[in-house]
Amino acid sequence: MTGSISRSDGWAIEVEGLGKAYRMYKRPLDRFVEWGSAGRLQRHGQFWSLRDVNFKLRPGSSMGLCGANGAGKSTLLKVLSGITAPTEGRLKMRGRVASLLELGAGFHLDFTGRANIFMNGVMMGFSRREMAAKVDEIIEFAELGNYIDEPVRTYSSGMGLRLGFSIAVAVDPDILIIDEVFAVGDMYFQKKCIDKIYSFKQRNKTILFCSHSLYDVRQLCDEALWMRDGRAAAQGDSVYVTNEYTAFQRDHIGEQKEVLGDEIPNASDHLGASVKLPRIRDARVYRLGTEEETYEITSGDSVEIRVWWENPDPAATPIHLGVGFLRQDMTTCGGMGTHLDGLELEGTSGCTVLEMPNVKLLAGQFLVPILLLDEGGVHKYQEFLLPENLVVRSVTRDVGLFRLDHAWRLNDDRPVPAPVEREAEEAR
Amino acid sequence: MTPPPEAIAVDASDDGWITSDPPGPAHVVRRLVGLPTMLARHRDLIYTSVRRELEARFTGTLLGWLWPLVYPVFMFVVYYFIFARLLDLKLPDLPEGLEASMGIYMFTGILIWSGFGEGLVRATNVIVENGNLIKKLAFPTEILPLNMVLTHLVTMMFGVVAYVAVLHGSALFMETPIFPPPTAMLAWIPVLLLLQIVFTFGLGLLLATLQVFVRDTIQVTTLLVTIWMFITPIFWVANPEVMSSIEPFLDSLAFNPLYHLIYAWRVVLMSRQPEIAFVGEDSFIGSLGIFAVWSVAVFLVGYTFFVLSQRRFADEV
Repeated sequence: MTGSISRSDGWAIEVEGLGKAYRMYKRPLDRFVEWGSAGRLQRHGQFWSLRDVNFKLRPGSSMGLCGANGAGKSTLLKVLSGITAPTEGRLKMRGRVASLLELGAGFHLDFTGRANIFMNGVMMGFSRREMAAKVDEIIEFAELGNYIDEPVRTYSSGMGLRLGFSIAVAVDPDILIIDEVFAVGDMYFQKKCIDKIYSFKQRNKTILFCSHSLYDVRQLCDEALWMRDGRAAAQGDSVYVTNEYTAFQRDHIGEQKEVLGDEIPNASDHLGASVKLPRIRDARVYRLGTEEETYEITSGDSVEIRVWWENPDPAATPIHLGVGFLRQDMTTCGGMGTHLDGLELEGTSGCTVLEMPNVKLLAGQFLVPILLLDEGGVHKYQEFLLPENLVVRSVTRDVGLFRLDHAWRLNDDRPVPAPVEREAEEAR
Repeated sequence: MTPPPEAIAVDASDDGWITSDPPGPAHVVRRLVGLPTMLARHRDLIYTSVRRELEARFTGTLLGWLWPLVYPVFMFVVYYFIFARLLDLKLPDLPEGLEASMGIYMFTGILIWSGFGEGLVRATNVIVENGNLIKKLAFPTEILPLNMVLTHLVTMMFGVVAYVAVLHGSALFMETPIFPPPTAMLAWIPVLLLLQIVFTFGLGLLLATLQVFVRDTIQVTTLLVTIWMFITPIFWVANPEVMSSIEPFLDSLAFNPLYHLIYAWRVVLMSRQPEIAFVGEDSFIGSLGIFAVWSVAVFLVGYTFFVLSQRRFADEV
């Protein structure tokens, strides 16, 4: 079963013309009419939640799914997990599939976390003995402490995620399918999940990942698929697809409510009236003091980041801007914010420029999220992604994240016995 | 770690493709042939689920694991007093001191029936009940009704073991035993159990699948199981010499599979003494054979219906 996936010419996942329609009956009687007439009388309505989806993934690659609610992402993951059958088209999965479609699916609330590890494991087709061999690893990864022997009923949703994710990865599948479940995890565990997913990729496993966070999609996935109304609106390189998606959202503000729901804030207050929330219209990187837009720089170059924002009601929603530099493994290399520097952004719209002379980052690809924050810098109104990742090249061969200022003096004229030797002499 | 099987809620064809084609006869045959292997591979799932189900029912209660015994004993006492005492129904020509035998007769009947009937009703609802699981996890769904059938069979076996122990105890320590204890015929129990599992599981699969599409099934099943219980000789004796009023219905009794099952169980548990009322022409092996044919037939129908409908479960529950 696993032999075929290591072949370099093989695909881990092949999906051809996949479609899924749900049948909808108005009354239970309609079903009998259909049965009675042997299908000649069609009494059901069809709702296509997936149509004409095609893609292939090689072992070791990862694909992110993005799109609005109800765009068909979860349906696609369900069909790929083998939970529901396609209505048209076909698919082929090579190797073992583990899916994490919902937090706590298959958990029994009255049983302890430890007991649930076994329950979940046997549900996935493992024996108790096999799970016994894995249980310590799972408990260690989940880091639930004494809670592991408490009923799952007492767990928070974040703890449920810890347990569910730990089990899903411990069974070591060839293909890992994860629906939007990370949102409830704390930053520490999210980082752990992401590291684990990286190590999966390195071991030639395939990952399908669905998230509303385009940032995560870019972080984790080589490829991405943007679903819109059950169809693929864009697919291919994850940076390209997420850019297309962001661009679409930017262009369609106000047209479609669901699209807005994800990343462009336009929430309603509890009275139902629409409240205009602040948002970032655009953000770009330029060489300092010029109009040359660039995303490829050399260590030591000077750049400025321009952020166009609007804030319809500054009195109700004071804002701050933050800019982060993140390496692809989620290490934050730098983070700046107007609130951190004690500044205030006033007015209903504007262009704010962050000048950064002499960027000393060493070679690598960096994600540069622009954050629109509330007055305390706590709540995140929006996380805006630059059109491209920032690629830094180094001319030096320093290692690490930054080039620290330094100079070498090779033959200094200080006395040769080192302090440690002199101190030893004195002590004797 | 050996790799577990791939998703089986929707299965792939031989070349590994999952398509939109509805499953055909070849598919059903492949699933049937593969069933024993699948069950063997998931034995830990079955074991864990049955144990969990039993624990959920009995642990934490005051009487705990005595509960599986309380129900049949309670039924025995009630029926014994109503039928044997109040209505003065007795088995004919019983040796002195064995007045309890009508109670024994009803007890064995109700014990076996509870193993079958309760398991069937629970199995009918179990797929719909676990809808959320079916929508989120890929696992062999047929294990759900099987678990219900097995859980109630285990509960029944508590009663069977207690029954055998009590009769042997009474034969050893009492001057006039309650009833002659069963002996060598007990060796047939594994055969009876196997056939009963196959029959109940097959019927359970059929009804559980139907329940996914028609939610009235569980209501109708509950009703029919009650009627079925009364038309099966559990509280009455299928012998015109004992109950002359039932003579016109005796012929149709041969078409009731549960009559054959309970008859066979009683032969095993009641050591088939000539003085105990059984219909004359019936033989143990004959009834066992008829029930075996019923079991296989019901199972084939039920499992086929299940396999053909299974890929739509996640959309319907």
